[in-house]
Amino acid sequence: MDKLRLIIAREYMSIVGRKSFIILTLLLPFLIVFIGAIPILMEYLNNSGNQTQQIAVIDETGKYASALQSDNLYNFVAIKGDTVTDAREFYDKANGSITAIIVIPRDVETSAQVNIYSEGTIPPALVMSVDNALTDTIQKARLAAAGIPNLQQIIDETHINLNVRNVTWQQDGNEQEASTDAAMALGMILAFIIYMFVIFYGQMIMNNVIEEKTNRIVEVVVSSCRPFHLMLGKIIGVGLAGLTQMAIWIVLLSVVGTVAGSALGLSGAAMTPDVAAAGVDPEMVDGAMSQVVRQALSINYTPIVINFVLYFIGGYLLYSAIFAALGSAVDQASDASQLLWPVMILVIIAIYAAMGCMTNPNGPMAFWCSIIPFTSPIVMMIRLPYDIPLWQMVLSHVLLFGTALAIVWVAARIYRRGILHYGKKVSFLDLFKWIK
Amino acid sequence: MAFLDINNVVKRYEGHTALAGVSMQVPQGCIYGLLGPNGAGKSTLIRIINRIIAADEGTVTLNGKAMTDDDIVHIGYLPEERGLYKKMKVGDHIVYLGRLKGMTKADAVASMHWWLDRFDLKEWENKKVEALSKGMQQKVQFIATVIHRPPLLIFDEPFSGFDPVNAEQLKVEILALRDQGSTILFSTHNMASVEEVCQQITLLNHSHVVLTGSVDEVKQQHKKNIIAVQSPDTIEPNAALFTLLPPDPVKHDTRIKLAQGVQVRDAISWLNEHYRLTGFTEVLPSMNEIFIETVKSKNNENNG
Repeated sequence: MDKLRLIIAREYMSIVGRKSFIILTLLLPFLIVFIGAIPILMEYLNNSGNQTQQIAVIDETGKYASALQSDNLYNFVAIKGDTVTDAREFYDKANGSITAIIVIPRDVETSAQVNIYSEGTIPPALVMSVDNALTDTIQKARLAAAGIPNLQQIIDETHINLNVRNVTWQQDGNEQEASTDAAMALGMILAFIIYMFVIFYGQMIMNNVIEEKTNRIVEVVVSSCRPFHLMLGKIIGVGLAGLTQMAIWIVLLSVVGTVAGSALGLSGAAMTPDVAAAGVDPEMVDGAMSQVVRQALSINYTPIVINFVLYFIGGYLLYSAIFAALGSAVDQASDASQLLWPVMILVIIAIYAAMGCMTNPNGPMAFWCSIIPFTSPIVMMIRLPYDIPLWQMVLSHVLLFGTALAIVWVAARIYRRGILHYGKKVSFLDLFKWIK
Repeated sequence: MAFLDINNVVKRYEGHTALAGVSMQVPQGCIYGLLGPNGAGKSTLIRIINRIIAADEGTVTLNGKAMTDDDIVHIGYLPEERGLYKKMKVGDHIVYLGRLKGMTKADAVASMHWWLDRFDLKEWENKKVEALSKGMQQKVQFIATVIHRPPLLIFDEPFSGFDPVNAEQLKVEILALRDQGSTILFSTHNMASVEEVCQQITLLNHSHVVLTGSVDEVKQQHKKNIIAVQSPDTIEPNAALFTLLPPDPVKHDTRIKLAQGVQVRDAISWLNEHYRLTGFTEVLPSMNEIFIETVKSKNNENNG
């Protein structure tokens, strides 16, 4: 036991002490927040350097110029005149101090056409803001022209945003609002965490094993401890290093995310009119958000966290043991790929199955893939936020841990032979012989 | 009672037998040479003693008791192909391997300092292994092998890759460990080093023991009844007593081979009567010659 603890400590320190590990662990959250903030920053840069442009408006109808609201990008100035020739003259006289002239023709209500004159190209943003501002106003004017009382109200009432609420009956007779969107998102995030962890740290274990072999340190170490302890110590040590990294990421991400969020929130407020201009009802955004938040809050997290941890351990144990065994069988990392593909296919099938199950988390594929131990740690994540019959849960756990322990045993037998095997390339047939 | 008693050990792999009933008795406090050509089974036997692999048949007894996994702390093993964790610091590395052999942290640290000092590696304690030269890495490997002062030390080709100065230092350290009571099993191809340090040997060939005994005994068994004779006169052959051999190309002395059944003193007294004899020495075969002769004749037997 002491030896196992020593090996775990060495493996853990050998990863956590690495410069690349420290840099990646500390920088990644900043990188993620930065990448997430890029669109906001770009929008900000796009607008901040601009001088407000002067746009002249010739409104032949005399009704619509007021619909064009000036903002810090465009300042709309109504001018007198009623022909295109007037516009041309005015533009030339202004001598570059105005960017464009908008002419709203007398028959705009029937033709639904507005002209913008300019010598250069016109920024799409200007076209969009003119379009947004005038469409609504002209539509209203047309409706009014139809002469039907309360037509606008009637149309508004027919326009609905259907809200499907999923209510589940609790056993105690209470109703609870079920949480489809938030549950789906949560399940997918958990599935991806396990997927990434298994692939990333599994490969790290494999490379570690290969390195010990090419270093020729392994024979010295196994003359002091059992190969099984070396393998197990490596799996646990690397796993703990991965958990450390994840914990740091969670803490850093939430801190950096909050700080960056509040910093960008100031400039974000300036953008709100744009959102409104884009035709999105801000109240609807708020409504959708609060619904997701309400759903997220209604999820029962305790069983999810417990099951996540159990599947995480089981899945990691299962796959890392396979990676360790494969690493022991080759002399250099480049030889590993020919033994690796069946494992990679299994993991990729699992993540695809998980995505496929999102729409039907209680269907037959979801059921089978969450029972089979090689896919269950990933696929079950999708199903966790939904109610799963207890027997399925128990069966899945028992199969996963039973298989994981069996795989560790098999891997240890391969590992024991593999670490001392040099030279001839190993086939799957050889691996089966070694298990015996 | 031998300190390390290997009794009829058999190890089979798919397709071939690595050890076919090997027995070997290593007395306490002795430097024991385990010799043999490549593929003879030396490494397999050493791994069985180290309990890295298990024997199919036979027993290994250490100090009168059948060996168990717990006994590996009583062994220090320097494999032929050896390495270190390149990214670890020298001091940490030695302490880690010492603690794996069951030392407490304090003991391992103290011992590590003592040995680094002895090998002039003190200022390298906090450097990474990869910063060391090859020779220094080999010294670190040696220290890691002996740090827990095991009663049994197994060295597989310890001198390979060492320059003569460092090889000499290593030899001195190995002899010192022997004098302090360690028993040393020494596997090598280098017959010159066998003559220098080994008291007893076992020669393995094709999974079998083909020769065993003390170095002196083995040499006596393999002597060819050749005598190097120094004399200012030209010695003529005497068919009844001896034949002349071509002179030694290096020393230019006269070499005679005694005829069947003739005693050394009969030949010498006859020579002394007829020539001015200034000196004579019995020529014993070198371990190198014995090794080559034994391995070749056994291979011929197998082929014939």
